Amino acid sequence: MSTIEFIGLTKQYKDLKAVDNLTAKVEAGRITGFLGPNGAGKSTSLRCLLGLATASSGEALIEGKPYHQLAEPLKRVGAVLDSQGFNAALTAKQNLLVICAAAGIDDSRVLPLLELVELGHAVNKRTKGYSLGMKQRLALAAALLGDPDILVLDEPANGLDPIGIAWLREFLRNLANQGKTILVSSHQLAELQHTVDDVIIVNHGKLIAAGNAKEIMAGQSLEEAFLRLIGVAA
Amino acid sequence: MNLVKAELRKLFYQRSTYGLILGTIALAILGTAFSPYAMTRIGKGLTMPLSSSDVVDGVYSKSLGGYIFVLIIGVLIMAGEFHHHTAVATFLAQPKRSRVLLAKLGVAAVVGALINVLATWVAIATGAYALSLFKNVAAPHDFIWGNYTAAAAVTGAVLAIVGVAIGTLVRNQNAAVTGSLVWLMVVDRILAVIWTEIGKYLPTGLITAMLNIHLNVKDQGSGLGINTADYLDPVPAALLLLAYGIGFAVLAMFSTLRRDID
Repeated sequence: MSTIEFIGLTKQYKDLKAVDNLTAKVEAGRITGFLGPNGAGKSTSLRCLLGLATASSGEALIEGKPYHQLAEPLKRVGAVLDSQGFNAALTAKQNLLVICAAAGIDDSRVLPLLELVELGHAVNKRTKGYSLGMKQRLALAAALLGDPDILVLDEPANGLDPIGIAWLREFLRNLANQGKTILVSSHQLAELQHTVDDVIIVNHGKLIAAGNAKEIMAGQSLEEAFLRLIGVAA
Repeated sequence: MNLVKAELRKLFYQRSTYGLILGTIALAILGTAFSPYAMTRIGKGLTMPLSSSDVVDGVYSKSLGGYIFVLIIGVLIMAGEFHHHTAVATFLAQPKRSRVLLAKLGVAAVVGALINVLATWVAIATGAYALSLFKNVAAPHDFIWGNYTAAAAVTGAVLAIVGVAIGTLVRNQNAAVTGSLVWLMVVDRILAVIWTEIGKYLPTGLITAMLNIHLNVKDQGSGLGINTADYLDPVPAALLLLAYGIGFAVLAMFSTLRRDID
């Protein structure tokens, strides 16, 4: 059984088919890049996977179940979504304590995780004073609160400067080395080229390619391979 | 219990909550502190002498005047999730949305009731002091203490529930707060005065009815004003207000379960 599975997933808005019959698998213990340009349907697919949006047809499963059927879901899956926010009037610590309470996670997880994402100096600072990069780090800390085996990250590099991106790459690799399964979406292909083991490439809501990253790149860069696959000359 | 704990943390970590609690108390205090002066200065032949127990009951009835802030607390409990984009984290932690909503409704009801009762008691004490500054003031009817406390609890609980429901239906926090204020402070009150037959079934009319006060300040010429004899009895009024709360809660549940979370 795959860790994450999209089976004929389709999401239709009024005049727009955001996701069109997507079928793909994410294998355990690997970093899988979910790649495609802006508007390709990556975020919508992930929101369907996490139960935040209802699929028009098909399904998205985690360990064989819809997200809402997982017992203690934050202890199974951690997520960073681009639409996710934090209460600006609360400190970083308070925001995470709220999530701990809701998910039945021990409060003692909060401070070590804030240290891990290098926000130890801003624990008691209200998040309205946080930069975009700090918010991304806080979102990563929130995703790790339940010490989940599966991480779903939607554009986690958004707002990070080059140092932050390098930090994120190392951070994800360390998590993967701990045996965690990571599905990470991005439209910035170069960022993920040296990070991912597998890729799922989508364009206009449809699957373009899926499989081992090196095999799909076939000696090209990820960006060149992507342009080749969607029929645009590199 | 986890969700209730989370909702309480969200509520009491925010400074704005304490501001709204103080606002509830302040508005209630203003009502009871100044209504003795206002009632003795209506003019145009309308007299409301403080030597009448009914009029003194009316002064104390203003102790429930802060309920608008309780409604706003309810709105913020839900609309705040969409305003801050924390709804995603909330529904990731507990994807069974009905449980999240039930926790919010429960916390809103209990906190709303407690805040409104506290504000009412403080305002009653303030009213007693204000009335002590006047001569020839009648004692209020004994039943008002229990009535007003019960009415404050029901009003606080129901309006907070209605607030959560409005925040669910109108996800834009500013629109939800503004719309609630305009309805409750303007439309509802105007209807209570100019169209009593409808107004007595709306929140302001029902809250007044629950207090079981006996006032008649209708202007004979225009027919405008309030005659509490036109209102429902306290128990049916309380039950109808509770029905509003249940109705809005069901609407909120239906909306939350159906719509995607952005």
